[in-house]
Amino acid sequence: MSSSLGPWFDYTINGLVVGNIYALLAVGLALIYGVSHLINFAHGSIYMVGAYIGWLCITYLHTPLPLTLLAVIVGCGLLGMAIERIGLRPLQNAPRIAPLLATIGIGLVLDQVAQLIFTPDPRGVPSQLPDWRIQIGGGTIGALDLLIAGIGIVSALLLYVFLRFTKLGWAVRATALDRDAAQQCGVDVNRVNSAVFAIAAALGGVSGLLVGMYYNSIDPNMGFQVGLKGIVATMIGGMGNVPGAIAGSLLLGLIESYGIAAFGTSYRNLFAFVVMILILVLKPNGIFSRGRSLPPEPLTGTFIAPSAPIRTPLPVVAGLAIIALALPLVVRNGYVLQTLGIGWLYAILAISLTLVAGTAGMISLGQAGLLAIGAYASGLLAISLKLPVTMTVAAAGVITAILGTLIVFPSFRLRGHYVTIATLGVGEIVMLVILNWDGLTHGPVGLSAIPPLSFFGAPLLSGTWVYEISLGALIVLALLQYRMLGSHLGRTLRAIRDDDVAARSYGIALDRYKSLAFGVAGFSAGIAGALMAHVFSYINHETFTSQASLLALTMVILGGLGNISGAIVGAVMLVSLPELFRAAAEYRMLIYGIALLLLIRFRPQGLLGTV
Amino acid sequence: MLRREFLLVAAGALASPGYALAQSREPVLIGVTGPLTGQYAQYGAQWKRGFDIALDEINASGGINGRPLQYVFEDSQSDPRQTVNIARKYVADERVVVEIGDFSSAASMAASPIYQAAGLVQFGFSNSHPDFTKGGDYVWSNAVNQKDEMPLLADFVRDLGLKKVAILHLNNDWGRTAKDLLVEAVKQRGGEVTGAEGYLADEKDFRSAIVRVRGANPDSIALIAYYPDGAQLTRQIRQAGITLPIVAGGSIYSPKFLELGGDSVNGVLTTVPFFPGDPRPLVQTFVKSFTAKFGDEPDAYNGRAYDTMILLGAVMRQFGIERKAIQEGLGKIKDVPSVVYGKVAFDPATRRVADPFVSRIEVKDGKWVAYEGAKPAMR
Repeated sequence: MSSSLGPWFDYTINGLVVGNIYALLAVGLALIYGVSHLINFAHGSIYMVGAYIGWLCITYLHTPLPLTLLAVIVGCGLLGMAIERIGLRPLQNAPRIAPLLATIGIGLVLDQVAQLIFTPDPRGVPSQLPDWRIQIGGGTIGALDLLIAGIGIVSALLLYVFLRFTKLGWAVRATALDRDAAQQCGVDVNRVNSAVFAIAAALGGVSGLLVGMYYNSIDPNMGFQVGLKGIVATMIGGMGNVPGAIAGSLLLGLIESYGIAAFGTSYRNLFAFVVMILILVLKPNGIFSRGRSLPPEPLTGTFIAPSAPIRTPLPVVAGLAIIALALPLVVRNGYVLQTLGIGWLYAILAISLTLVAGTAGMISLGQAGLLAIGAYASGLLAISLKLPVTMTVAAAGVITAILGTLIVFPSFRLRGHYVTIATLGVGEIVMLVILNWDGLTHGPVGLSAIPPLSFFGAPLLSGTWVYEISLGALIVLALLQYRMLGSHLGRTLRAIRDDDVAARSYGIALDRYKSLAFGVAGFSAGIAGALMAHVFSYINHETFTSQASLLALTMVILGGLGNISGAIVGAVMLVSLPELFRAAAEYRMLIYGIALLLLIRFRPQGLLGTV
Repeated sequence: MLRREFLLVAAGALASPGYALAQSREPVLIGVTGPLTGQYAQYGAQWKRGFDIALDEINASGGINGRPLQYVFEDSQSDPRQTVNIARKYVADERVVVEIGDFSSAASMAASPIYQAAGLVQFGFSNSHPDFTKGGDYVWSNAVNQKDEMPLLADFVRDLGLKKVAILHLNNDWGRTAKDLLVEAVKQRGGEVTGAEGYLADEKDFRSAIVRVRGANPDSIALIAYYPDGAQLTRQIRQAGITLPIVAGGSIYSPKFLELGGDSVNGVLTTVPFFPGDPRPLVQTFVKSFTAKFGDEPDAYNGRAYDTMILLGAVMRQFGIERKAIQEGLGKIKDVPSVVYGKVAFDPATRRVADPFVSRIEVKDGKWVAYEGAKPAMR
């Protein structure tokens, strides 16, 4: 049965086949990043829309393949232009972080609309290609594999020709280099952006259709994970570098495949993310960049635009805190208290993120990893050592502070979007280590029978206690952070955020201060995770996903980066809004997405403004 | 299917006389938490269909002692952050007499302490996690226990004359527990497990995992998967040129498995507790009303959802609609007809049901049919 060439040859072919699929998505992402310095989180959703347009054409109109492809290209191209025009262009002068958040919101809305129209059921997409396969080594390659490779290579070539030799292509490159200068020279920057989004979206849509045919399966949620993989591949190849994106994708495919070969199937992503972080640390501009030094990242400094924060006078904040503490005296509804209690727990997570992302300028997408470390630390200590919960929660804070800082440490030299992707990787790594480290974490079976929050052995189970304990922890941690930001530490961190070269020339040891910020943030996030573990009583690797990291970042941006009260407001809003929309049943996440988009549109600097 | 669901899903055939009586009185309410949006949304939609058929039946025959039975379905996205909120809502809502759900273990078990403390039965019909019912004496489940199911699958493997099994399993709490039990059961029957590969829920490409499986030189492959990933695995196994027999846990059973798997899935064998081709009259009545209402054949989750609603209806009819009475009734009730078990009775100590009914089935010419006992042909 096994091939004469041995399994490694098969692993190599498999890796290339999968990388081939990532490439189509990565090219579009790289193009958009190249021109607008934007990681497009909606790209996975466009890919899903492309798959559904193709499915509609094949199933209802019985179109032949070329016509199906054309329909997908036109449909998704228009969608891309619409996203740019309606969703992103109005945010042109907003802080750079606002469009990023907008793409997250647009992705959510697209996914939800697709789910409402097409139902969440997966559907089969019949392949329109002849069903022949070539035997290569121990595996086979089909017509579709070749078509995918062909489309990948041809589109990269076309892009190259377009960017090098056409007038619009020059304009695109000029805009990528310096948007303002290009505009000064008479380039219609909006048209360029529109063209780029159309091309990228068309490519994304085509890849969705092809992948749908490849696996004979499409569903409304197919985009999220693939989108992340595309982003990782782009990052490996170097953001904004189109040929690099293709090479990066093939490499990612190979890395995954070899990871499976060497360690087993469940290590696939773990291995891939570890390699990604190594590449980022060793070659921070992607492996195809020249030289090791970072060019001046156009996002630092301007990434977080200063705005006048809404200053809430201390007595008002204190008054609000007292009212919040006293609320259970008036409100006896366990549901309301529980919802707000969960809101407070997420607020702790949000203030920890706003410290690293807002104040220290390291936009992290791995905050759920810290929650998970805290939750498992406290859960394991309470279950195996039978320590009292008060002690385990505090210990979880310390453990998370130390572990969290250590694992993020290698990414400290990165800047801008690279930090974001590295931390995303760290979050995934934490989740995958939990999944694979059976001996400690019980693997996928998870931790059950975690003791509830208690005080000298008396369990505190009611909604009121969840509310009060979470609020108490939040107030203490927020005060600590407030004190810290008011001191020289806060000033130093903001200096690093605004200009790290200048900060270093003034003798600030960047790593130490970044470690301090991550340490404090890790402590808070660890406490939040630990409290959640005791409230939930059961946790496994699915409790804290990358979706939770994304949610935390949304809360922080919505509230205003670096703004403690803003983070709290953002967290409570984003936890309670989906609850408020409950009456809308299947429509509630759609309404939530639209509300999010409106908030970004009309308050891009965050509700309470950046500090 | 663009169907606007209202918060209260009133079910029932309006024409029947029993309903007219039932309708005139305050409904008895069941609280459901499950995914209607998010990555597991398809399963919530399947639950609803099963529930609706059962409610049609119950309410057409007089409801719960003259009162109509209804459910509220709160979307949790199967996210623990939201199930705990919904749990507080249900325990505080005096109209809710029993709760059903949630889908994933992480989401369901996070809510258990709240239901347990408030004395509202949490009934999980998809929760096979071994610790789920250990949440307390108000936590019950009729999910098919993998301690029952996996030995039955191993019996099938043995009867097929297969000795060296390689396992591909979903690497979550369910898949992992099932895999461990299957390994044990195969060994007890004198077989050998040559390898086991766990994949993640969002993976779609299994080529490299399959290379590993082939390298282990098995004489058959066992899948512990749901239908979307099961179909994917089968396709890719066949595309890799592997012709070994494939035996799968019953969770792959769905008409969708055929659609997504195409020609590749012909010959796949499985054991299922519920199968629409099952000649038992109970099953045939359910299949008939289901097909009439939705135009599709019911699948595993449709069947389990239906079963659960029928069971809870029977408990309420016999023991009343007090929360406490339902909890006690679950321990006492006997011989409730069930499409999954034949007849249901709980072990009051474990709060689970034992001995599921099992049909051996296979895919033949793109259809699920009863397995006739022939040895599996190498494809």
